[in-house]
Amino acid sequence: MRRGANTQRLIIVMNLDAYRISSEPFYRAVEREVELFEAAYRSRMPVMLKGPTGCGKTRFVEHMAWRLGRPLITVSCHEDMTASDLVGRYLLDADGTVWHDGPLTLAVRQGAICYLDEIVEARQDTTVVIHSLTDDRRILPLEKKNEVVKAHPDFQVVISYNPGYQSVLKDLKESTKQRFGAIAFSYPSPDIEAEIVMAEAGVDRRTADTLVCAGQRSRNLKGQGLEEGASTRMLINAGFLVAGGIDIAEACQVAMVTPITDDSDLRDALTGAIAACI
Amino acid sequence: MHLKLPAMATGVADTTAGFPPDWQERWRVAHQRIDHAGYGDTIARNYRRAGPHIAERVGPAAAIRLGGSVSAASIRAGRRAAGLLIDAALHLTEAVSDPSQFMSWLDMVDEIAKRGPESLAPFLENLARLLDALGFPGLLAFVRMGLGVSRQDKARRLAFFSLESGEARRLLDHHARADVLGALTPRLKPYFGALWGFCPPITEPPADAPEIMRRRSGFGGGGIRLPPSYAGFPRDDQEQLYRATLAHIGAHHRATRARFPAVGLRPLQIAIVSLIEDARAELLAMREMPGLSDLWSRFHVARPEGAPVAISLMARLSRALLDPAYEDPHGWVAKGRTLFDEAVSSDAHDQQLSRRIGGLLGNDIGQMRLQFDAKTYVVQPAYRDDNLAIWDFGDQSEPPTEIEAMAEGARIEQRSAPDGRKEEGEGEEKQSGRLRDAGADEGTFAARYPEYDHVTGQFRPDWCTVREWPPKVAPPAAVNTLRESRSDLVERISKLIRASRVSRQERVRRQPEGEFLDMDAAISAMVAWRAGEVPDARIHGRYERRSRDISVLALIDASHSTSDPVRETGTSVLATEKLATAFLARAMSELGDPFAIAAFCSDTREDVRYVRIKDFERPFDDLALGRLAGLESALSTRLGAIIRHAGQDLKARRSYRRLLLVVTDGEPSDMDVDDLHYLVEDARAAVQELNREGIDIFCVALDSGAESYANRIFGQRSSIQISSIEKLPEVLLAIYLRLAS
Repeated sequence: MRRGANTQRLIIVMNLDAYRISSEPFYRAVEREVELFEAAYRSRMPVMLKGPTGCGKTRFVEHMAWRLGRPLITVSCHEDMTASDLVGRYLLDADGTVWHDGPLTLAVRQGAICYLDEIVEARQDTTVVIHSLTDDRRILPLEKKNEVVKAHPDFQVVISYNPGYQSVLKDLKESTKQRFGAIAFSYPSPDIEAEIVMAEAGVDRRTADTLVCAGQRSRNLKGQGLEEGASTRMLINAGFLVAGGIDIAEACQVAMVTPITDDSDLRDALTGAIAACI
Repeated sequence: MHLKLPAMATGVADTTAGFPPDWQERWRVAHQRIDHAGYGDTIARNYRRAGPHIAERVGPAAAIRLGGSVSAASIRAGRRAAGLLIDAALHLTEAVSDPSQFMSWLDMVDEIAKRGPESLAPFLENLARLLDALGFPGLLAFVRMGLGVSRQDKARRLAFFSLESGEARRLLDHHARADVLGALTPRLKPYFGALWGFCPPITEPPADAPEIMRRRSGFGGGGIRLPPSYAGFPRDDQEQLYRATLAHIGAHHRATRARFPAVGLRPLQIAIVSLIEDARAELLAMREMPGLSDLWSRFHVARPEGAPVAISLMARLSRALLDPAYEDPHGWVAKGRTLFDEAVSSDAHDQQLSRRIGGLLGNDIGQMRLQFDAKTYVVQPAYRDDNLAIWDFGDQSEPPTEIEAMAEGARIEQRSAPDGRKEEGEGEEKQSGRLRDAGADEGTFAARYPEYDHVTGQFRPDWCTVREWPPKVAPPAAVNTLRESRSDLVERISKLIRASRVSRQERVRRQPEGEFLDMDAAISAMVAWRAGEVPDARIHGRYERRSRDISVLALIDASHSTSDPVRETGTSVLATEKLATAFLARAMSELGDPFAIAAFCSDTREDVRYVRIKDFERPFDDLALGRLAGLESALSTRLGAIIRHAGQDLKARRSYRRLLLVVTDGEPSDMDVDDLHYLVEDARAAVQELNREGIDIFCVALDSGAESYANRIFGQRSSIQISSIEKLPEVLLAIYLRLAS
């Protein structure tokens, strides 16, 4: 194509069916988070899920998307992510330039829940693109394309935010934080966590209790050598190994000790402490 | 020591035959001098006999030189020492690898005879053991240390050379690699933390504690005391024993919420109530962590056999309460078990059940007329602590003698045991109240650090004790002065710090020029170009340090010498330090950089004081200002130990750069050290240790006219001497520029 010629601009519209959740994702409510989220969704309020790694934030969003019957578009944020990665960009093809909606635009147009996982990992100049979506304007300007997308009535933004392990330097802008309602997550109480492990990994109550006990030992070392203790997800992984016939001590080693630290003294201490639970 | 004397007739015989011809005359003169000096026949005879043997092994000169040392020893240290010296010389000929070592050993002996004559005999008596444990170079270090630690103190020197002082013992332990605990501590601390959710300090009992106490574990005052090793257990069991001990102590911490009053109880009752309480605490812990039962029960080896004496019955009861499968026919054990089972099934959290059941069982033992000797009683099995921490002995000035042995341990522990740091205005730390009730007005044990001895080139293990002292708070007037002074300087400092970029490199995109092509920008530019628009030319990227990621700990010298004026201004060094620190703290807290302040001074190596003014987590508020203003100049400066201690705080920080900023007059000193270079070299070693850990250390030395060793300690590039506070911004600029590079 010659420079200056009329450029054919195509918009590729994606089908959102792939983002629909057809069967119920298991989620064991700990407090009133389900009601709170439903209430927030009714007014399409942006929601922030705060809490440690692996405590069930992502699973919760999946469950809520299923419950509300909305497609869920998840974006895992990272430091190289640009606004274009979220919003969309022109790409080249044989005939000219083609606009591709980014995941956020897709959700805005079609009324999905857009879940920005670990949002602080993204650069601050990237996260500001959600500002116009998270106040009463509910619009997304696509500057490159000279278009303003009005949010679909069902569209909602959800972000996850783990305040614990990021340094002071990686924090959300105050102006971003203030747009959200926040639901705080923590590891469930031992009883509930054992139920979750039983249901997810298919192990008996005794095994689940032991794994939860082991998980607590590891969480005791948070800030004393470990950045984070073993998450519920790790306990479930250990449960899978046990259900698959692996000895519980070895399962804990593989799923909860070895992944979490490279320090041999710490590993040894943790192995010893887990042995106390078995 | 084995004497290997050549067979020889008694009496005055000719011994010159053992010497080469040209040495024979000199040898004759040497031994005749001893013969006629009146040191006694035995010494003369032994020297004459030993001479040829020594000449053969390490040369005739050594044999003759020994004569001089024997004379000196006889005159200064007495005949006994002189006699021992000859024996020891014979022993040493077997142990040394070359004659020069023998000669330098004689130098050592002469030095001891001169500077610590009372210590020569015990030194010579212990020579074989010392050589065995330390080797020849270690022996040299040992002697220098012995003479160095106690220039004026005869009794202390004697204790050192008799291997009775903690210092000497620690050195021997360290060299003999008997330091099982030291090697395991890095694993044991997180083990305890994982089990119980808090991390108290773990220490060895003081080296000068009675041996019975050194062999037992204990706790209290916020810390845990573990024996250096468990004597009599194979090495493989040691770690399991330590773990069992920590699990047990943690169980007490969780379950034993109040101390039992000891008043009116006999030692036997105390021991049995303790036993029941041990079982109750363990039971509760096993409900939470069932695996502990395996860990503990392997050390319960009591069996239902042997004579039923109190101690063995108690061991059997301990086992019966822990191990349901254990069968014991003895009525007392069965009764104890039944009572315990009944009580815990109704409410295991009731601490009084231990007191109740213990009382009943104690009476039974009394009625059975079984012997119990409190002085020799040791809690069984080995992993259980001495149980002193769960008793309140009151402050009866004269406890019954039987309890004395037990209570003595408790007192020593209270003197030496660490305490969780207390911080007013702060939420409870993760420690229960009961573990923390230690005296606050004398500083609390924080850690022990080695010290570098530049003469011997070795570290003296566990040499300095750092104690954390509560800060004094100044009245509001002083605080206000500090707060309001020189806002122009604060402004300059803030600006300077704000401009500094101490962080990891970050990628900056969409730049008109740079080190790499920004692919996103390049694609958009290409797209724009193809679309007939004007492309954005900013398609490059580069690496940049954009923000700060630094933790700073400012360490303020508050020793006596800081009351001297700073040369140009006349204000005292300490006042200038306070001002400089306040400026820096305000600037850094405005910018949100993690920042901590501590002050230090020392009163011999037993009490190196660390005063926390502000911790990283706390704001720089009026409390911190008040503490800063409340600092007073006193005592001495033991810089090395303090640098090591502050380094521990910084090591825990996870910033990109960690900076220790020492503000001092640059002159280390302490009461118990005469050799100034010793402390300078130790501080220098401490600085190098931290540098190796990736911590930057910078010294701002305030010029008080006193000699400053800052350059020697911190290095030319890392210390700056300033003569007035006005220079501070420049200094900080230099520091930050260096950190940012």
